[in-house]
Amino acid sequence: MDLETMTAQLERLRADALVAVEGAADAAALEQVHVSFLGRKGAITEILRGIAGLDAADRPRIGAVANDVRGAVEAAAVVRDEALRAAELESRLAAETVDVTTPGRRVARGSRHPIAETVAAIDEVFGRFGFVVHEGPEIEDDVTNFQMLNIPADHPARDLWATLYVDIDDHLLRTHTSPGQIRVMRETRPPIRALLPGRCFRYEAVDASHAFEFFQVEGLMVDEGTSLADLRGLLDEFAHALFGAARATRFRPGYYPFTEPSVAFDVECVVCDGGGCPACGRTGWMTILGAGMVHPVVLRYGGIDPERYQGFAFGMGVERIAMLRHGVHDLRLFMENDLRFLEQFR
Amino acid sequence: MRVPLSWLRDFVDVDLAPEALAERLTLLGMEVKGIERWGAAWRSVVVGELLTVERHPRADRLSLTTVTVGSGEPLHIVCGATNIAPGQRVPVALPGAILPGDRRIERTEKMGIASEGMLCSGDELELTTDADGILILPADTPLGADLSELYGDVVLDVDVKPNRGDALSLIGLAREVAAATGAPLRVPTVELAEVDPGVADRLRVVVEEPALCTRFVGRIVSGVTGGPSPDRVQMRLRAAGMRPVSNVVDATNYVMLETGKPTHAFDASAIHDATIVVRRARAGERLETLDHVVRELDAETLVIADPRGPLAIAGVMGGAASEVTDATTEVVIESAIFDPVSIRRTGQRYALRSEASQRFEKGQDVPTARIGADRVAGLVAAWAGGRVLRGRVDTDPVEPGPSRVAFRPARVDRLLGTSLSADEQALLLARVGIETEPAPAAAVIPVAAGDDPLAVSVDGGDARVALVPTWRRDIEIEADIIEEIARVRGYETVPARRPETQMPAYRPSPLAVRDAVREVLVGAGLVEVVTHALVAPASLDQLAWPDDGDLPSVEVRSGGPVVTVRNPLAAQHSVLRQHVVPSLLDVLATNERHGRSRVAIFEVGKGYAKDTDGPREWWRLAFVLGGAADPAAWSRVERPYDLDDAKAILELVAERLSLRAPSFVPDQRGAPFHPGRAAAVTATIGDTGGPAAPGFVTRPGAIAVVGHVAELHPDVLAAWDLRAVRVLAAEVAIVGLGGGTLAAPMARPLSRVPSVERDLAVVVREDVPAGVVASTASRAAGELLRDLRLFDVYRGAPLATDEKSLAIRLVLQAPDRTLTDDEVDAVVRSVTDGLSVDLGARLRT
Repeated sequence: MDLETMTAQLERLRADALVAVEGAADAAALEQVHVSFLGRKGAITEILRGIAGLDAADRPRIGAVANDVRGAVEAAAVVRDEALRAAELESRLAAETVDVTTPGRRVARGSRHPIAETVAAIDEVFGRFGFVVHEGPEIEDDVTNFQMLNIPADHPARDLWATLYVDIDDHLLRTHTSPGQIRVMRETRPPIRALLPGRCFRYEAVDASHAFEFFQVEGLMVDEGTSLADLRGLLDEFAHALFGAARATRFRPGYYPFTEPSVAFDVECVVCDGGGCPACGRTGWMTILGAGMVHPVVLRYGGIDPERYQGFAFGMGVERIAMLRHGVHDLRLFMENDLRFLEQFR
Repeated sequence: MRVPLSWLRDFVDVDLAPEALAERLTLLGMEVKGIERWGAAWRSVVVGELLTVERHPRADRLSLTTVTVGSGEPLHIVCGATNIAPGQRVPVALPGAILPGDRRIERTEKMGIASEGMLCSGDELELTTDADGILILPADTPLGADLSELYGDVVLDVDVKPNRGDALSLIGLAREVAAATGAPLRVPTVELAEVDPGVADRLRVVVEEPALCTRFVGRIVSGVTGGPSPDRVQMRLRAAGMRPVSNVVDATNYVMLETGKPTHAFDASAIHDATIVVRRARAGERLETLDHVVRELDAETLVIADPRGPLAIAGVMGGAASEVTDATTEVVIESAIFDPVSIRRTGQRYALRSEASQRFEKGQDVPTARIGADRVAGLVAAWAGGRVLRGRVDTDPVEPGPSRVAFRPARVDRLLGTSLSADEQALLLARVGIETEPAPAAAVIPVAAGDDPLAVSVDGGDARVALVPTWRRDIEIEADIIEEIARVRGYETVPARRPETQMPAYRPSPLAVRDAVREVLVGAGLVEVVTHALVAPASLDQLAWPDDGDLPSVEVRSGGPVVTVRNPLAAQHSVLRQHVVPSLLDVLATNERHGRSRVAIFEVGKGYAKDTDGPREWWRLAFVLGGAADPAAWSRVERPYDLDDAKAILELVAERLSLRAPSFVPDQRGAPFHPGRAAAVTATIGDTGGPAAPGFVTRPGAIAVVGHVAELHPDVLAAWDLRAVRVLAAEVAIVGLGGGTLAAPMARPLSRVPSVERDLAVVVREDVPAGVVASTASRAAGELLRDLRLFDVYRGAPLATDEKSLAIRLVLQAPDRTLTDDEVDAVVRSVTDGLSVDLGARLRT
């Protein structure tokens, strides 16, 4: 065989191989083409067997041609391989199309009860002002629940708290979280900033705004100069945190035996924004809590010298706050535990 | 307290619209709860004058009248009343009129004669109680005027707080209005035309209990004629919420509303020997009270008596026998001051809380005893036509002056956060009738009153003395004066500022563990519920959830005598619960009734008991699972909750609290549990610590979770009438639940050497729990074991029927080197030997 023939064979082979590479339908076929042309027993190798019959001078030349052909076919195979891979990926992805409009596969998640969630929200606000949580017993003694709060036995103010009594001498179900004030004052020393959440009980018929079991959060701050102005400032912060910074507040006289002066604290109606509606009795205001400066008698029962220290206390109904925050109109929903209601607080 | 504005205006001018007045009073601490428009129910009722009154030709009991209403043709109106005569002015409901109760008046025909409207009785207008006669208006009533303009009124409903008994009166509230608006107050003085003989000759009063009746003022009006009180009076009483009774009784009620002083009128003829004795009732004495209930009296009850026996329960209710009637000709008026506590107790004991007793309970302004007696006597004479006998019987005619309360102007600012001069303070106090004067050189400030009063001596230069009027019995100490200053000035003027005081020391929140547990349960798909602590006694027996009292206790132990409410609202809320699970089953049942099948709920709640030394309360986590763990979806089949779901929740809780994995020990007690699907659970503190709580030693191995988890017995599901086939429940005590802190999880260095996994199939008898296989294998594996997991259970051929095969995966790793095959084989051999020796296990090949 001479150089020309061999060169021609290689060139034909190049043409055939390139056609074959282009024609390979998938990776396996391409591999087959690769093996059949470029493999150890492939066509080029076959042709190059004839190299021994060439002149020594022609051998490098035919080698160069062979390398060129090999390189061209290799290159074409790489290109074809990439094309095939891309096509394959594309078709796989196309086959994997899902209906993206089907619902997601949910992991079941529960929800916190709105009362617990509201207590946490209240705690969050006052916690940032340095108030720390304390807790007292629900079965309270009469002395702490009433007498130490400046509500003597047979005092008409007792009518404000319809009481459930239990079969333990001198004990009752606490009617408010206020006895916690006494406990905190006896356990700690000023400066005091305490928050007392908890369950309370009253002899009260159930309706849309009353319950015989309910939750309160009490606050107490005592120090040398703590004033009514401090109370007002903090309550404003609280109201703005829960009901929006633009919401007006109102500070007016209230009455509690354990505070003097006593305060009722209103926010602009969350339903009508102050315009007046049935929800706020057309006054434009909703009372959210009671408060006042701790009565000197209460400070003394707490073991604190009212000449040196003064402070404020406040108490709010958690359900009331939760109702205003979440647009709930019937307090009974909180203890009915209808999951259709509770799951709205996820 | 219902306040008709027309009546209030007797004592103070009011220029404000009712809403504006209501707001002023509210901001002064006299909260107006409602504004009622009295007479708002009247439409097209005008004043007419009767021109003619003739007998109806076909009905003896009807009259034909012609009435002019000032303009237009006279109206022909048929009327059934007999008290009418030409010239009288009367209320006329024109055709189209509306009366109270939405009663519409139209042109009608009565016995063949047209009637162009209706003449109205006081009752039809809800102005007086007279339903028989037409309401005859004063002759100078303007003809044609709209009745609602003339007799309509605005009634404010004022929430008077218990400390302000003085404001349970129109004069008291008029004082507040005067303070708010600056308008002058007009308190009428009573001037009586008295006749002989003197009262002292006709009435003897003996007070045997001067501590319970500190003052008794008596007056007599003689020659009275019983009958209704004037229409105007009846209207006012009605607007104020009281029922008109008779001229004499109405006079006492009128004065009570006006002055706040309850009085009582006796028929003098019923007082034996003209002698009144104020004493305690004697055992066995009985009295028929005005409500015609015969009451057994006891020695705690103060009575107004005559020498023969009780006439009235003092301050609470009169007696029927001495009641003033139309036959009464002479009236004895009692105007006394009683001990507030005694009256309150009596009212509670007899379940009799009257308008009078509520005023006595709050304490009485001493001079009103005299003023009330005089005012009632004057009104009785005016309305019932009698003569007031000269003078009074008065057991303590010396009346106190203003009380003196020293205060420090600087303290006012310190407490309020204001800066007011002493003069400004004095001016504010003056608006509520409190004058001030300089304090003596050594002033004594009343800081606290009550059983343990506190007074401090200060330099007189730093103090002022407030002269508090007798009616302000609520002002006793310096803080009361400060409130008064703030109140009159307006709380709105108190500046709002943030405290600039020292921060308290850090204190961890006692809610930390409770909140962490809640977060785990919510994440695990459970909905938090809050249920009643007060439950039905029957529910305590309905589910005998075991107490943990015999287990190593964490927190407060449960169980013990049940706490019962002495005055329950209802039987189903009369005892305090001891377990939370029954409440959760109630919730499950409720939700099933709403059509829910999947119910996964939890509560962190309390149980309660009483010990000999007092009450005990404990916190528990409880949850209940029913229905589908994985609800069916287009991509997945439904799977019901089972015990392993319940256990997994406890495992998650243990993990969150940095505890060791909980251990479950079979509990085969049966009811309330499924005997084969119940476990006692415990979890212990691991090597790196766990939650801490007061009184709890956090050391490795200490029990931190204890309780039970179980599938409930079918009998329990039946008792709750549940549709769910299987319900899982757990209730556990957790250290720190009642107040504790969480441990920060400790990180272990990551191993840089590979771990080796070996799977073993271990054949054991059916009754060997997997937990025992796992713990035995762990013990045998030694310190190279990193993890051990059960991943399959197989029963069936070729195993014997009482055998099962457990597939467990051992993960082995040394901290510092790659394990050799020999080392791994040695561990596996040790495990298989251990299982074989301890449990009779063999390897399945």
